[in-house]
Amino acid sequence: MLFNSWEFILFFCIVFAIYFSIAFRFRPFLLLVASYLFYMFWKWEFAVIMLAVTAVNYYTGLKIARSTSEKQQKTYLGISVLASLLPLVYFKYANFFIDNFAVMLQELGFKANFATLAVILPVGISFFTFQAMSYSFDVYNKKTPVETNFINFAVFVAFFPQLVAGPIERSSHLLAQFREKHHFKFKLLIEGSKLFIWGLFKKVVIADRLSIYVDRIYENPELYSSATLTVATLFFAVQIYCDFSGYSDMAIGVARMLGFRLMQNFNLPYLANSIADFWKRWHISLSSWFGDYLYIPLGGNRVPYIRWIINIFVVFLVSGFWHGANWTFIVWGGLHALYYLFENWGDKLLNVVKIIHIKKSSIYQTLKIVTIFVLVCFAWIFFRANSIHDAFYIAQEIIFFKTDPLYLGASSVTFILSVLLIILLFAVQILQYFKVASLYFSVSKMPTVIEFSWYVLLLLGIALLGMSSNAFIYFQF
Amino acid sequence: MGLLKDIKSDGYKKKALRIMVLFLISFFILDFFVGIVLKNGLEAYYGLNENVKIALVGHSHLMLGIDKVQMEQDLGYKVAKYTSEGVNVANRKLMIEHLLSKNNKIETIIYGVDAWMFSGEGLSENSHALFYPFLSDASINRFVKKAGSESEYWTRKLIKSTRYSEGLISSSLRGYFKKWDNLKFGTVDIERLKKSIALGEYREINNNKENIDTLIESIELLKKKGINIILLYVPTIDIVNQVESEKCEETLQIFRNLENEYTNVEFVNFLEPFSHQHDLFFDPIHLNPKGQNKVTEKLISHLKNTGNE
Repeated sequence: MLFNSWEFILFFCIVFAIYFSIAFRFRPFLLLVASYLFYMFWKWEFAVIMLAVTAVNYYTGLKIARSTSEKQQKTYLGISVLASLLPLVYFKYANFFIDNFAVMLQELGFKANFATLAVILPVGISFFTFQAMSYSFDVYNKKTPVETNFINFAVFVAFFPQLVAGPIERSSHLLAQFREKHHFKFKLLIEGSKLFIWGLFKKVVIADRLSIYVDRIYENPELYSSATLTVATLFFAVQIYCDFSGYSDMAIGVARMLGFRLMQNFNLPYLANSIADFWKRWHISLSSWFGDYLYIPLGGNRVPYIRWIINIFVVFLVSGFWHGANWTFIVWGGLHALYYLFENWGDKLLNVVKIIHIKKSSIYQTLKIVTIFVLVCFAWIFFRANSIHDAFYIAQEIIFFKTDPLYLGASSVTFILSVLLIILLFAVQILQYFKVASLYFSVSKMPTVIEFSWYVLLLLGIALLGMSSNAFIYFQF
Repeated sequence: MGLLKDIKSDGYKKKALRIMVLFLISFFILDFFVGIVLKNGLEAYYGLNENVKIALVGHSHLMLGIDKVQMEQDLGYKVAKYTSEGVNVANRKLMIEHLLSKNNKIETIIYGVDAWMFSGEGLSENSHALFYPFLSDASINRFVKKAGSESEYWTRKLIKSTRYSEGLISSSLRGYFKKWDNLKFGTVDIERLKKSIALGEYREINNNKENIDTLIESIELLKKKGINIILLYVPTIDIVNQVESEKCEETLQIFRNLENEYTNVEFVNFLEPFSHQHDLFFDPIHLNPKGQNKVTEKLISHLKNTGNE
């Protein structure tokens, strides 16, 4: 069931009405039933995997909390991590390992031809697995109290607004909210609806429109000119942002209407002025997850310099691999690690040269924002390409630019509209950056009439220019 | 009920309800006007807003094949061009009915035909979406309701702006700007075409009886109204015509038979002398501007010779 469908609107209206009408003590159970129903719309069997991951983490959480020895706690944490990752590895990575193992053997001169597994990746498996695992880590690190109520814990893992594509919530933030007594509030309904409309606009008007051009070009990149490949890559940068942040906005908006506060997942990432800054703004819930549960346990930056470099690579490569079982994602992660390190070295060099006045100038800052955007776009080539071969081909064509004509796609009207929508998106983002327009639930400085008209026009834009797509990019992760 | 209690006790209730009601009213008013503006433009583009003597009805084949503006200049009267990409025989019948409901001065319908028109497959599967803007027309309303899902239908019925796709918006704007040129530049790649055909990549000709009957129904409807119908074969390239030459001939024979059977039917076949002139084609079935110009001239001269001046 997709957010951008009438089925979801109907489903949500029913859940919403029942949720606020029944006694508080029954509400977590209602949310649990609704969440599993929501998930089973894809394939009911997937719910079994989610239930298993939930049960494992609930049980190990209890055991970790009740164990007195450090060794026992570590053992239960290990069981939790292994058992949670097992379905993820099987469904998402098994074929990748089989294929690459066969290739490796062939390279070594052996005859290897293994059959791949016929499996379908359960929707959102990476999201609910990481969310459930974070609970076990937090109980182990005593950052969150153990949850003894299975219903509360199960709904924390399966909470339908953020189940299939995040934000990946922490137990310390979300779990306690299932014990709160939420009252219906018009203010929350309006705030949530506003965010939902903006998210829906980004998804069905911008992302789905851009995807038509991007898909066509990236399917057969060798047929297109350098200019076309460059435009397709820029379009993809906007497409993936609008697709994913659109979903997050809708998830946060839906939760808000029910009285829940989900964490912000995007904070104007394309206006970041450094790679480090970009990762504080892009998919915040995942990057902070890797920060808390991988980077810090590896020692963070409180280790020898070489070890720190290794830590950076590990985090970015794992992050790339999290996105998909393909070398393209691993190279994408590796590229970001390289960016991060070069930036660190560049900063050190600038500190030695002592050109603070230049660093503070607006031209320098703008230049940095543009540079980071270009670098991030370049990395997106690897993220989007169907194969490493395609990715290198596209990168090469863009770097050694040839002035062949630009392909406008099947319809020049669609192309022009796409460009205008990108301009609109960046205009809104700049207003949000300067805190003139509202970002998430911040107060807008816009006059009420303008803000009101803006949302009416957004809804009209959705009706007039909305396209129907069957999925969100991040569902596949 | 907790919900009702919460609503009653919410101090923000009055203001919020005012905002929400105003929001919905504003949206629907705006939607209403957008719907009217776009529909007017679209009617102008298709020539549904004025009385014309001749109307062209067909899909992209006819759209790219005939220049309406050139026809109007040379013939000295208004011509409607009600063509849209991917419309099948049933859609075209609906288009004729729609034209007739808007216009009582039509004397001739020029109906685009080709060897594949009774095949059905290969045309747009959701061609009914092209008719969303005209849901207020009873016959179109019935057709769309039958063709699409319930939710699809009621969304379009309730919110007028959902009735438009980018193509329809573009056509509507063209209606306002009086831009009727339909041009595709370039020339068909013959070698590539031959390779594709050798690989079996071509559209098959299947003369589906149901589709033939639908065309006959259209003819009979026009006969009742005393309107002539010209079945115009805008040329398709000889290479594709020869792939299933027997079937192609079979379809042409259907058109000839209809001409013999109905007094209001005339079959005008422009396959010759154009189908061998490859430089006139943008792709195997669509003409480029040069081809469009030549075929339009030939049609104009035919109309003049047959007294349609």
